[in-house]
Amino acid sequence: MNQQIRLLQEPTDSVERSIRVPVLIFFGAAAFWLALGSLFWLLNVSQTYTPAAWWALPGIGWLSFGRSYPVFLNCMVYGWASGAGIGVGLWLLAKLCGTPLSRPSLPIVAAALWNVGIGLGILSILAGNGSGKEMLEFPGPVAFILFLALLIIGFWAVSIFLHRKPGATYVSQWYLIGAFLWFPWMYATANALLYPFQIPGVAQSAIHGWFSGALLQLWLSPIALAASYYFLPKIVEKPIYSYRLALFGFWGMAIFGGWTGLIHLLGGPLPAWMITASVVANVLMMIPVIAAALNFHLTVRDSFEDLRWHLPLRFLLFGGFAYMVWNSLGALISFRAIGHLAQFTFVPAGHLYLGLVAFCSMILFGALYLIMPRLLGRDWQYPWLVKTHLWFNVVGLGMIGFDLVISGVIQGFALQDPKISMAAINDLIQPFLLVQNVAVLLIFLANISFVAAVKLILLLPSRVRPQEPAAESSNESVPEVSIA
Amino acid sequence: MNKFVKLFFGVFGAFGVSWLGFVAYPYLTFAGLQPYRDPNTREVAPPAKPGVAEQGYHVYASNGCVYCHSQFVRDKNEGSDIDREWGKRRTVARDYLYDRQVFLGTSRLGADLTNIGVRQTDPQWFYRYLYSSHPESAMPAYKWLFQTQKIAGQASVDAVKLDGADAPPPGYEVVPTEDGKALVDYLLSLKRNYALPEAPEPTE
Repeated sequence: MNQQIRLLQEPTDSVERSIRVPVLIFFGAAAFWLALGSLFWLLNVSQTYTPAAWWALPGIGWLSFGRSYPVFLNCMVYGWASGAGIGVGLWLLAKLCGTPLSRPSLPIVAAALWNVGIGLGILSILAGNGSGKEMLEFPGPVAFILFLALLIIGFWAVSIFLHRKPGATYVSQWYLIGAFLWFPWMYATANALLYPFQIPGVAQSAIHGWFSGALLQLWLSPIALAASYYFLPKIVEKPIYSYRLALFGFWGMAIFGGWTGLIHLLGGPLPAWMITASVVANVLMMIPVIAAALNFHLTVRDSFEDLRWHLPLRFLLFGGFAYMVWNSLGALISFRAIGHLAQFTFVPAGHLYLGLVAFCSMILFGALYLIMPRLLGRDWQYPWLVKTHLWFNVVGLGMIGFDLVISGVIQGFALQDPKISMAAINDLIQPFLLVQNVAVLLIFLANISFVAAVKLILLLPSRVRPQEPAAESSNESVPEVSIA
Repeated sequence: MNKFVKLFFGVFGAFGVSWLGFVAYPYLTFAGLQPYRDPNTREVAPPAKPGVAEQGYHVYASNGCVYCHSQFVRDKNEGSDIDREWGKRRTVARDYLYDRQVFLGTSRLGADLTNIGVRQTDPQWFYRYLYSSHPESAMPAYKWLFQTQKIAGQASVDAVKLDGADAPPPGYEVVPTEDGKALVDYLLSLKRNYALPEAPEPTE
């Protein structure tokens, strides 16, 4: 166990230098998509609250709700979370395997393909070529470009893992290899069977549901967990509480994660066993989730008081907490009595946002705050931007979580009563839509501070000379946002 | 190498099972699904839908109707769907047999559209509804599916009958674009009101 921690702390500069450029391209582009996605999020929530007001841009087809919503979601899922996730994954794998990259041009090609693909996909949605399949809106040719990028990254990930230094294995690598193999597979399957090889009928809905569950549980989650398992022990300078529990959590996730996606189709036109399998999987997911949450908690418990100043740690811990909340909500709405109530309300949206922007995004933010200064050799210029990012996000995410769940419950009870008209339900949820607007505005401001910080550290030389890593021994001398 | 082989097979095996269950199984079984032919009346359910063009699905998808409107009816004990008259029975896989694009949906910010073509049969109702804004709901006005043009000689057959603030200036008319017509044709085709043995109408 001790050996693993020593391995994590070894300086491996040639390795980090070898992947510097592709990782920074992924991070820089991801920050851009995050800004664009946040802007479209603000637009689409205002469009549901005040569809006729001038700021909702009524009458402009290409910016209407039906386009701004998928643009927001695809920017967040593919542009931001997947892009930043690939960057974090590449960095972690190279670092943990201790092998300098032999073909540094490969991930650069992948980064270029990936981001050109996202751009084309967003333009296609705006131009009215979205497919209407949530999180799979990009047209076939665009999906193919993204798939090529994923193949390159998957190939690269496997080859670096095969060439790792002897003995260099850690649980984060398992999560990453899983993620880099699962994602091309699920993305290719879903796009191939929904577009070129589609068949009419509800098989489409089953495949689409399978994909949306797996996308969160077996692509974005394992990357976020890999980052947590790497950084938390490193920050508190202690080994992970239980290595066995971490591996157990990995296999639990691998087995149940692919089955979680059909809970929003309770009572739908699919065979009953499929819905039941999904219900069971969502409940059983609590086992690996509790294993991970417990492991994180027990690892940082004794050190937390001393590390209150450590901003990236707070992002990571908030993300870990959100992981628990997200999956608990998923398990809760799987119970049929609750599920039938929560179905078709804002609860499914709240569930998605908890997984996507409260769990995965927050952990990725923490990881970027730790990785970027190392790659650039300079520290974050304005710590207040990082603080703004943290607190506006915490308040905004808490607000939108409560708001969507409470309004979902009210909507759910109202929908169950056929005497309450759809227009009356719309009146009932108006205050919640207003709160949602405020919450998204806060998240938007938070994300803009983050994007500003990323662009500044990328483009401007530091005002302060970075300190030698060896000198960072006491808290006083450590800049607020640097790697521990 | 050994560790990698274990990881590789574990990773593929664990996910592969869900792939078999949720992808391969429905893809193979639903491809063979047949319409139901009533042995007495010789009627076929669901009836074939020759009229719906690909364009209709495309406009429904690309304008994001599915983000607020569902297209499936749950059983009587699972929700108020049947009491709200969104359908007389639950929908089953066979109802979507001919749907080249299936939009089940996960939100009901708007009404369910499984049987909208049964509830509303007049294209004019759809045109007016899509053209005007709705203070009582979050639904926007889909003005880009229409164009205002000068009446040349006789008024167009499709001209939308509008009054009040939405009415065009005198001498002009509002007509649906090709996309607007395709969308309304698609919505009119949404009729799942035939009988299927596997989903009897609930008695009571």
